[in-house]
Amino acid sequence: MSDVTVPTSQRAPETPSTSPARWVRENLFSSVSNAIQTVFFSLVLLGLLRWVLGQIFSEEANWTSVATNMRLLFTYNYPTEQFVRIWFAAGALFLAVGASFAAWNLNPVVTVRRIAVALAGTGAVSVVVGLITPEATPSSIRTGFLVVGVALVVLAVLVTRLIPNADRRQIPFLGLLIGVAVVVCGVLWFFPFGDYGFADGAPTAESGTIDSSTSLPVTVMFLIMIATYVAGRALARRIDLGWLRRTMIGWWVIGPAFIVFLVLRDPEFDWGYVLAVDVPMGAAFAVGGAVLLYALSKPSRSDLARVIGALLVALALFHWVAAFFGWYPMLQKARFSFALIAVAALLAPTFAGERSARLRFAGGWFGFMVLFHWLLTGINTPSTLDIAAPPFLGGFVLTVSIAYYVMLASFPLGVLLSLARTSKMPIFRVLSTTYIEVVRGVPLITVLFFFSIMLPLFLPGGMGISDLAAVFAGYTVFSAAYMAENIRGGLQSVRRGQYEAADALGLTTVQRTAFIVLPQALRVSIPNLVGQAIATFKETSLIAIVGGFDILRIANSTIPNQPDFLGQKRPALFFISVVYFIVAYSMSRASRNLEERLEAGQAR
Amino acid sequence: MSIADQALTEEMASRRDMIVCRGVKKWFGDFQALAGVDVTVKDREVMVVLGPSGSGKSTLIRCINRLEVHQEGEIIVDGVEMTNDMRNIEKIRSEVGMVFQQFNLFPHLTVLDNITLAPIWVRKRARVEAEAKAMELLERVGIPEQAGKFPGQLSGGQQQRVAIARSLAMEPKIMLFDEPTSALDPEMISEVLDVMKDLARGGMTMMVVTHEMGFAREVADRLVFMESGDVVEVGTPEHFFTNPTEERTKLFLSQIL
Ligand SMILES: Nc1ncnc2c1ncn2[C@@H]1O[C@H](COP(=O)(O)OP(=O)(O)OP(=O)(O)O)[C@@H](O)[C@H]1O
Ligand SMILES: [Mg+2]
Repeated sequence: MSDVTVPTSQRAPETPSTSPARWVRENLFSSVSNAIQTVFFSLVLLGLLRWVLGQIFSEEANWTSVATNMRLLFTYNYPTEQFVRIWFAAGALFLAVGASFAAWNLNPVVTVRRIAVALAGTGAVSVVVGLITPEATPSSIRTGFLVVGVALVVLAVLVTRLIPNADRRQIPFLGLLIGVAVVVCGVLWFFPFGDYGFADGAPTAESGTIDSSTSLPVTVMFLIMIATYVAGRALARRIDLGWLRRTMIGWWVIGPAFIVFLVLRDPEFDWGYVLAVDVPMGAAFAVGGAVLLYALSKPSRSDLARVIGALLVALALFHWVAAFFGWYPMLQKARFSFALIAVAALLAPTFAGERSARLRFAGGWFGFMVLFHWLLTGINTPSTLDIAAPPFLGGFVLTVSIAYYVMLASFPLGVLLSLARTSKMPIFRVLSTTYIEVVRGVPLITVLFFFSIMLPLFLPGGMGISDLAAVFAGYTVFSAAYMAENIRGGLQSVRRGQYEAADALGLTTVQRTAFIVLPQALRVSIPNLVGQAIATFKETSLIAIVGGFDILRIANSTIPNQPDFLGQKRPALFFISVVYFIVAYSMSRASRNLEERLEAGQAR
Repeated sequence: MSIADQALTEEMASRRDMIVCRGVKKWFGDFQALAGVDVTVKDREVMVVLGPSGSGKSTLIRCINRLEVHQEGEIIVDGVEMTNDMRNIEKIRSEVGMVFQQFNLFPHLTVLDNITLAPIWVRKRARVEAEAKAMELLERVGIPEQAGKFPGQLSGGQQQRVAIARSLAMEPKIMLFDEPTSALDPEMISEVLDVMKDLARGGMTMMVVTHEMGFAREVADRLVFMESGDVVEVGTPEHFFTNPTEERTKLFLSQIL
């Protein structure tokens, strides 16, 4: 969009910004009762704050227990000599974040004034903290808070005074990015973190500063992110933005799995077997499927596509039944692939069209199959990692990976369930309603136990399911039921006229659902869906009960059992609370931004 | 001559039947909304449907593209009978455009995307081609400059014109209008009617439910008057406005004119 200069006469009048003193008078001390309330609640707040500070700075709380255990909290027992993998993975993520910011041109509107207000607020709180810290606090900390607080307030005042038009001048997104990078890297380089290693299954203490093995990679990663953002913005003017967005969506769906299973897990391929079995099988499905789909997506062959799709569904089901009873051995990969090609064949009439559209459909299948087989081969191969106590994922990395994939997997499942529940077919409705009500009537912890302990007993030999996968399945099943209910609320808000208009144009039921009904329903459901995602993120802490070492378990039981920090729970728990809060709050802010963007798009 | 073919000129009678309704009956639960309707619409004919509120006008034209399902009688659209075991209902619907009283534009899509969606996905047109056609239609309904906006940012009259363009983009053989101007402010009514008149002059087969008597008088080839789910009278505008046969028609027209 080109910049259009709005003639002055058409600009909305500026709301005069009130001075802080006036705001305080009008909002906090407008009447006697208002003043009393203000004073009373301020005192209560100060008392609470002082108590919290007392906990934080009490002599019993040994904060080195957190500072020293950073590595444990974030990656648990991932081998130190393999850390370059972690950095590679994080680098890939940062790169994708930078590229996505550029692709969607995510420009949160932050004015200079808002930053100044935030700075002043932080400064004021810091001064208050400095003033009311309990006597036991070392005086250096007190003075530190006071000095930093005053400095921030002065900075805020300077910023508003020196920069003209602080109300309206916006900080470019790049500036924000750089600001965050400077703060994080500064902390890493100058704050004295310690280091904990892992040897023979037991943690080994090793005090001292975190060495450049962390600060350097993190700094480099922020530089990568900033560089991709800048490059992406520059490119965005030349290349097709839609293409970049589709690529990024594809990456976010499949990329993290690659990182977790192929980079972090480092499978040790047996190349003879890979070349003899895996590659030919993948190639057969990729090439054969692409040819079949190209043929079936010819508009005149939609009946044939339905017949072949149905046959393939039957074949796929048969393979699963055969596996269940152990009639003949067949690789899981092949069973999954049959199921996928059946679905794709059924979808072929929907994608039918001219030659280029059909080529794209077939090409998409080909690419997807290659990735799919590569990933499954990686997952089925033993890992080279020399890990004392499996699984290889732990700490914050585990929390985030599980949460991310549960959200990703339960979303489509939730969409399908909600559609089934509102469908005209009684059988779908009954099945989906039963599923949703059963799952919602059972505590999450029960579902997790069921999946980790009971499920493996039901499965026949040869269909073993790893602990992590079982827990992941349990979470997904649970979360999908709630997602479905949230989306159903959205579906009900779509007016009947929308269905009728879509029908009158000749859209099929699938097209109507995908292009008209779901987009509107999902928009309405965003706040609830994000609420559900936040809940899922926090509930990952239950993974501890089935043996996982997530961030909460490490803080609550691993650190307090280290010889140096016996019984030190509070600092670590306080620290992970802050970590949880930062992530959850960012998600909720992001959803607000998304809603605002969508609303701005279609103002009524 | 059957009721359905009343008041046809000889030339008109020789044309092809685009819509044929014979003894169409429809119940909502116990309530009978259509009590055996006979109507024929010829190729390139404009038929206006009149009648008091609740007389079944909407129900009738919604049965024609099967948004409602009739229980008895037959409806034949362009030679294809509407039955329960039809497999390609989408195919028929894509040949019949429909414009609603409440516009029913898709609020999450831009005007351009509203118009191109069905051509791209139902008619399998290339996007470029569909967009060019859409711009042509927006030109024709007089709002090419609104292509990038969302429906919520347009006035009612503009929205209804987009809805007409959206239907026309499918190149339908028949257009159905269900009170297209009833939800509009008076000053916007004429801009929509102008588009419809234009369409009628272009030879489109149209069935229009409306209370706009000016439009009926000027554009309609024939009018149908319905009451309580029945066709009471069929005739030319001249017949209706000068000398209707039935008492009930006279009463209705005297109230509305
Ligand atoms: N979905 C439905 N369920 C039950 N009754 C219905 C339904 N739709 C319409 N009806 C009834 O059928 C009758 C005919 O309705 P219809 O909408 O066809 O009337 P109309 O002639 O279009 O009236 P108006 O001028 O008010 O639009 C009305 O009495 C109405 O109450
Ligand atoms: Mg009506």
